[in-house]
Amino acid sequence: MSQPPPDQPSAAPAAPATDLTTLFPQGEGIQAQIARRQRNATIWRFVFLGATSLAVIILTTLLLSIINQSFGLVAEQTNIPETQLIVNYQKSLMLEASNVALSSEDDAALAEGIAADAAGVGLLGNAYTTQNQDTLRALSIGGVAPTAETVQSGAYPLARPLLLYTTATTVADKPQIGAFLAYYLQVADEVMAEIGYFPLDEATLAQQETTLLALLGATELPTIVPAEYEGDIVIAGSSTLNQVTREVAKRFRAEGFQGAIKITSVGTGAGFAGFCAVDGGVDIVNASRTITQLELESCRANALNPVATVVGADALAVVVNAQNDFATDITLEQAGLLFSSAVNWAEVDAGWPAEAINRYIPTTDSGTMDFFVATVFAAQTLADLPYDSLVTVFQANVSAGRCRAAEAEQRFYADRFVCDTEEAFTARCEGENPTTGCTLAPRDHASLEALVQAEVIQPEVLQAWFLAESIFRRDEIVATALEEYPSADVHFRRWLTWDFITRPQSATPELAGVRTAILGSLWVVGIGLLAGFPVGVGAAIYLEEYANKRKRFNSIIQTNINNLAGVPSIIYGLLGLTVFVRVLEPITSGAIFGVGDPTTANGRTILSAGLTLALLILPVIIISSQEAIKAVPSSLREASFGLGATRWQTIWNHVIPNAIGGILTGVILAMSRIIGETAPLVVVGAATLITSDPSGPFSKFTTLPIQIYQWTARPQQTFLLIAGAAIIVLIILLFILNIFAIYLRNRYARRIG
Amino acid sequence: MSNVATYSTNGGPYAIEAQDLSIYYGSFRAVKNINLRFPTHKITALIGPSGCGKSTVLRAFNRMNDLIPISRAEGVILFHGKNIYDHDVDPVEIRRRVGMVFQKPNPFPKTIYENVAWGARINGFKGSKTDMDALVEESLRDAAVWDDVKDKLNQSGLSLSGGQQQRLCIARAIATRPEIILMDEPASALDPISTLRIEELIQELKKNYTILIVTHNMQQAARASDYTAFFNMDADRAGYLVEYNQTDELFTSPKNEMTEQYITGRFG
Repeated sequence: MSQPPPDQPSAAPAAPATDLTTLFPQGEGIQAQIARRQRNATIWRFVFLGATSLAVIILTTLLLSIINQSFGLVAEQTNIPETQLIVNYQKSLMLEASNVALSSEDDAALAEGIAADAAGVGLLGNAYTTQNQDTLRALSIGGVAPTAETVQSGAYPLARPLLLYTTATTVADKPQIGAFLAYYLQVADEVMAEIGYFPLDEATLAQQETTLLALLGATELPTIVPAEYEGDIVIAGSSTLNQVTREVAKRFRAEGFQGAIKITSVGTGAGFAGFCAVDGGVDIVNASRTITQLELESCRANALNPVATVVGADALAVVVNAQNDFATDITLEQAGLLFSSAVNWAEVDAGWPAEAINRYIPTTDSGTMDFFVATVFAAQTLADLPYDSLVTVFQANVSAGRCRAAEAEQRFYADRFVCDTEEAFTARCEGENPTTGCTLAPRDHASLEALVQAEVIQPEVLQAWFLAESIFRRDEIVATALEEYPSADVHFRRWLTWDFITRPQSATPELAGVRTAILGSLWVVGIGLLAGFPVGVGAAIYLEEYANKRKRFNSIIQTNINNLAGVPSIIYGLLGLTVFVRVLEPITSGAIFGVGDPTTANGRTILSAGLTLALLILPVIIISSQEAIKAVPSSLREASFGLGATRWQTIWNHVIPNAIGGILTGVILAMSRIIGETAPLVVVGAATLITSDPSGPFSKFTTLPIQIYQWTARPQQTFLLIAGAAIIVLIILLFILNIFAIYLRNRYARRIG
Repeated sequence: MSNVATYSTNGGPYAIEAQDLSIYYGSFRAVKNINLRFPTHKITALIGPSGCGKSTVLRAFNRMNDLIPISRAEGVILFHGKNIYDHDVDPVEIRRRVGMVFQKPNPFPKTIYENVAWGARINGFKGSKTDMDALVEESLRDAAVWDDVKDKLNQSGLSLSGGQQQRLCIARAIATRPEIILMDEPASALDPISTLRIEELIQELKKNYTILIVTHNMQQAARASDYTAFFNMDADRAGYLVEYNQTDELFTSPKNEMTEQYITGRFG
């Protein structure tokens, strides 16, 4: 003890107060002191609450921003829409079938044909059916006959609207067009009923009037005096609507219209073709179906914006000769059969005679055909088409060169060629640069579908919007998109779909999926845990139960393990590259077992990646297992030893069962860590673009985080969006694996406790 | 293995004997120069003030101290004429033949049945399921806990009360049929009624087992034991044996002044 300097007052310890009790707060001071302490406690409580809230806010923001990316409006453009492809394909099948007796745009001719043919069947609008009731009979579909009620209620499946298409520009340029449309609406109900179609219900009519008002720029529907208008009106399109329009025109002229009205029946498709062409000269289209995406695109390309007016409804009838005494009711599928693959009646229904079907159908330009095919085959996708048909579709829609290239990549058939020739193929395969088609097995249905998607349909997202703006600025976005991308379809798109999960990786972001990456992740994590778990737990047991901690050597090991847990993961990647990929290549490539992939016979396999990740999680598993083992009360060990148990019996029967919960918690943490690892896998050699699923531990691989990382590095916006979707997939995958692991842990923990 | 097993169970008047026993923790000598012989089928109480090393001595008799890496024993403990600290003696065999009951009840977190059966099973009990059932029942009966647990043998041992748990631990110890049972303050964590039942139980058990019991409760020692050894701590903080005699003589006419002071409550 140092002495105090002599010049200072004495620092001798003060004598303790005589009554120590008085040193506590007295009287009200007691409450004041407690209140102070409680205040302190409250402050700390809010500090902790704040920290928790901050964490929750940050995590929520993160999640929302990911979700925000994964859904939203897109302006998407396809070369040919999938439905169109199917309609075209089915239509061509129908038209080229051998039993087509007549294909005409003249419905009257069709009606006459069926009337004269006992085995005839055809597609006719309701007007022709009712007008020829003596010779024709309409079949009910699914028990529903075409009547005014079933058509208006929508119960009859082949009911369709009848529409007139024009544009605002046309109406503005030619006042007679607007007048004719307004007049049409006024008399439509009467004329429709007269000819044999179905009038509009009142709600639809009111809607049409509103549309028309907007078109005319008027606030109130004017009373049309036809005599006040002049100039020509050119109408073209559907044969179904032809009769009605003729009748309306007749009345329009009868009331004094001065100009000429020219009406042609060319089919809805041809009508739109004339209408959308630059100098097509068609003012109004008679349409028996709505405009298709393709037609809309070609119209918009010429700055024409078609506006539809519904003027009535038709029931497309499947009609047979009145003498036909067996067919009365068919299903929609049977209707499809009747006009496509079936050759005789017995093929459609076993109870019908085995006589040839004679078909009377419209031409390829007919709206009736389009409507019929689109309705009957509505549920069909590419997956429903037979393999041969898909090949035909592909061949018909790509150039011969592209088709040959696709066949060189992978053949369509093992025994014949579609676009390539035997000689050229053999020559190439025996040459210096054989293509993959020389060794690969022929394409399967799924890969052919993917090919058609990528090469024929060619979906392309021109621009995408995030979820928030898609919701709050929807109208604005739709307007801008229509202006900027006239040929695109603006619709809401989820990037995270089941297809996205089940499709393999692709160079086209719209068609890319994460199946390959998910499988890769599962393989790599599985191998990592399989290798890391036993080694890690074993080491923990040795260090805790066997090793003498007072020995310097063991404490050095312990310190090193603790430090290894903090080593950057890239270091493990470098270690894995050296040890597993290079030094142990014969083993990790599978060459030593003779099972390696000959095209990628090196060590950059799932096995190498899994083992590298096993190294990465070793410290985590060891440390957490050690903690769990330490937490087992020593009284249990003593009880076991006291009964004469050996150390191993004690560990196996008491230490491990009581520590397993904690050990598995460590494994869960380890799993969470490696499922998101990227850097070491990049070093070990994850594949950048891989479309084939891993087939075993010696396959090339990619994993979800790698996939996400690569997608985010691309300049195209669409890749960023699917990266967002892939992040959600990763989170969900992690969630599922964790739930599974926690379930396992609780199960074991319960059994022990 | 060792020749311990070649001696018969009830070979002599003394079940186990310590000769000049000293136990060290690292460089610290915890007890020194203990010489003690424990008569067969008697209860011997080890008493003494806190920290005098009586538990350490007790745990030397089944080499439980081996579990503490820094501990080491000098001297000899003769069990059937063989020094159990010889290099050719496996502590597992010693513990199998010298059972132990701990201060705090420590049943395994397993079923009551399994608590009793486990020790027998690892020690090579070769009976059928029926035999095992009989062994479990007999052990639980001998430990006077059968009536409490017979309807819930499949419940966790931890679901019992403290006194029941301790009797379960005793049942667990006797299920392996040891020769000697070491009890380290077995009633110290229990309420008075449970304590009394344990004491009664110990009296029953002495018919078949030699019992060594550490207690800090002098009344308990006086009531329940046949012999008493009194330990004290020396100036170098090492425990040593002060006096060892028949219990009634030690308590009525102690030969050592320190013993008298301790049993009359003047220190400790």
